[in-house]
Amino acid sequence: MAALIALYVCGLIALFAAIRTVVEPEPYRKLPYLNVMNFAIAGLIVLILAHPLSILAAAAYFVGSTLEANAIASTRAAVMEND
Amino acid sequence: MLADFIQIPIAAALCWILFVAVDIVFRLPEKGGVKGATAIGRKIEEDGGALAGGTMMGNIVSSPDASAGTLLAACGVYVAGLPGGLAAAVLVFIGNRICHDPGSAGTTGAVLASVMISGFVVLGFAPENFIAGMVIAILTIQGLSHPHASRLLARIWGWRH
Repeated sequence: MAALIALYVCGLIALFAAIRTVVEPEPYRKLPYLNVMNFAIAGLIVLILAHPLSILAAAAYFVGSTLEANAIASTRAAVMEND
Repeated sequence: MLADFIQIPIAAALCWILFVAVDIVFRLPEKGGVKGATAIGRKIEEDGGALAGGTMMGNIVSSPDASAGTLLAACGVYVAGLPGGLAAAVLVFIGNRICHDPGSAGTTGAVLASVMISGFVVLGFAPENFIAGMVIAILTIQGLSHPHASRLLARIWGWRH
């Protein structure tokens, strides 16, 4: 029962953050919203698949998505600097 | 044992205090770890926020920091108890190295969070409530109002600085 409430909290926050990411017009400010969604999805992975190995899946998803956000922001900053 | 709807806000508050304190102690608001983090900080400042808080938010986006450590530690404790939380700390450290970060804030946050959450599990808290709590804590910083969150973080950074 407890896991079910946590599951709904994570799911609703993931949905909310995803909508804000799409609605936000400024590219740099999309990334913090996307970060919230990644947190919620990493939590959902473990809550849905409650197995010791699912921590590996959650960590791999989270680190991968963080690296992508890092790459998007840094590439954009480097390109804007050159212009 | 407290009801879940009381446990989740308590867990959120504890996670919020833990990750903000560890990030501030490890000087995340001082400068962007990568160009992208600095750019996010500047953009938040332009839109009415504070630079130090914005830079910290940029750093949270760009590399697994104490907030990621707390989340993965909560996940680890949920699936495998204290050893799971410590395994999550190792994974956060590897993640930090992949993102060109020294890894001290994330790993410290994960170890402290594992101990804290395991302690509260002994007191009767459900570890999954800490997963939901950490997601709520990050929502308040990164997902509600960037200008307000960055000004709050900059004020806390002012006490440390």
